Amino acid sequence: MIARITPPAWTRWVLPGIAAAILLGYPLVFGTVYTNIFIHFAIFAVFAASLNMLVSYTGLLSFGHALFFGGGAYATALALENIPGMGLFPAIFTGGLAGAAFALIVSPLLNRVRDTAFALLTLALGQLAYMACIKLRDITHGEDGVGGFPIPDLSIPGVVSVSMVPAQNFYYLAIVILGICLLLMWFLTKTPFGSIMIGIRDNPQRVDFLGFNIPLTKCLIFTLSGFFAGIAGSVYALFNNLVTPDGVFHIMTSFTPIMMVYVGGIGTFAGPIAGSGLMTIIEEIATRYTTQLVLFNGILLVLVVMFFRTGFVGLYLLLKQKLFEKESSR
Amino acid sequence: MDPMTFICVTQFVHGLAYGLLLFLVAAGLSMIFGMMDILNLAHAYIFMLAAYLGYTMTGLLNFWAALLLAPIGVALLGMLIERFMLRKIHPLGHIPELVLTIGIGLILLEFVKWIWGTQSLMLQPPEILSGLLSIGVFRYPVYRVFIIGFSIAVMILMGLLFYKTRFGTIVRAATADAGMVGALGINVPLVYTLFFGFGTWLAGLAGVVVAPFLSVFPGLADQIGFDAFVVVVLGGLGSMSGAFIAAILIGLLNSFGIQFLPTLAPLLTFGLMAVVLSIKPTGLLGERQ
Repeated sequence: MIARITPPAWTRWVLPGIAAAILLGYPLVFGTVYTNIFIHFAIFAVFAASLNMLVSYTGLLSFGHALFFGGGAYATALALENIPGMGLFPAIFTGGLAGAAFALIVSPLLNRVRDTAFALLTLALGQLAYMACIKLRDITHGEDGVGGFPIPDLSIPGVVSVSMVPAQNFYYLAIVILGICLLLMWFLTKTPFGSIMIGIRDNPQRVDFLGFNIPLTKCLIFTLSGFFAGIAGSVYALFNNLVTPDGVFHIMTSFTPIMMVYVGGIGTFAGPIAGSGLMTIIEEIATRYTTQLVLFNGILLVLVVMFFRTGFVGLYLLLKQKLFEKESSR
Repeated sequence: MDPMTFICVTQFVHGLAYGLLLFLVAAGLSMIFGMMDILNLAHAYIFMLAAYLGYTMTGLLNFWAALLLAPIGVALLGMLIERFMLRKIHPLGHIPELVLTIGIGLILLEFVKWIWGTQSLMLQPPEILSGLLSIGVFRYPVYRVFIIGFSIAVMILMGLLFYKTRFGTIVRAATADAGMVGALGINVPLVYTLFFGFGTWLAGLAGVVVAPFLSVFPGLADQIGFDAFVVVVLGGLGSMSGAFIAAILIGLLNSFGIQFLPTLAPLLTFGLMAVVLSIKPTGLLGERQ
């Protein structure tokens, strides 16, 4: 037996400290292009993590998560376009609320099905939103989308007012908002509520017997997942200053986070974040050499599902175990 | 005859042709789900691949050769997918299967765009099936009538296969209790592979037949594929008669919707699905989810 040496308490702040320093210094070092790539990564990390709440923790595969993402994006864009003097945070919160509201509206429907039928129903609802978005021209401007809406300054009255148009300024806003979302989602998985989610995935009957109200719990999970997807959509809208049906409601918008969850590692919290990072990097590199990005992604997805079910996080844990753990954990 | 009746009759025949085509696509999807508990999301993309193959083969040989060969080609592809991919991950449950098949679908979609380009390809129906058919005052494209007749013929063939052959008996038995059929010494995995091939063969037939009816373009899988998924869910997963009723319903809804409510037509399909599922989650005639 080797006595475990407990490191002093301050050391546990070293890694988060380094991470925070890197995040703070990132836009200063890498310039606008890479800053924008990072914002894109962060948006999809939150979007994929919100889907992960359903896929990994509750065991429900949603093929229509673009409904909530797009709902949030359009809510923010339309609010900024139509309401004069709309503040920055109210606009983002509106996006989140819209995502949550959409989720709340469809949750009675979703509660009635599970498994394959759940996947198909969410697919249909996502398509319904896509079609409705194109057809309801009066509200959404059809295929042209909503663009060029004013991006409000970040202002605390009388103290400070910062323009959000430069990429660097927007970067700090985006990572704070999206970071808070990720922390909240992570915290949620550690609460008793998170345990009920996993219980619903593994043994719904037993959770029912224990006295939990499953339909209501699922309803809450959908609403929370929709809220975070809506926030991601909202930041996306602010980031691009343009939302179109093909950009936010298209079926590929629903598939992207599914790929991220799988490539990153299903069943883990870090999976979708790693997946978003990997897919963003792959996209950046692949688009320089080929126009067949989706073909590439499809092949990657098939390979991961066939041969590497634990994804990137699984690979990392495996390597860590092989390289750094002297005693095998048998 | 007043123009309203005329429009209604024309749209009815058009809706019937479209509905029967949808049934051919949806039937394969539904029976594979019913027997093997796999929902093949790549089905619609396989259907589209068959349409493209049909287009090329019609150019090289002729329409009838394409109608024979293209479905066999995609059926082989389907059998390979079942044997080497789906069978391996089937024990892991539904979610990896859905994700895998959507991955295959994406690959097929991009492959098709890569080989044939993104433009719409028009295919003329063969000489004997082009032109208009006059019945009384109605003049109607022969090809649409051919689609109706062809689909009904395929349905009769399917019925014969299921209820009059040994293969059909084994398939129906395996749907009820695969373990017991295996215990009787029948190679159930082989039956699964063949059956999967049969389902994709049906999608292939529909693909070749659809090529001269609509044009061939990369959005075909989305357009018809989604309608086919709606048909399967609406009819009840795994229920053939449910799929038939739903296919005709969606076909008619589409053709009348485009005529009378052009802006809302695409919403009607999904609206109907949402309404039916909120009243009866198992679909019209389905017994399970």
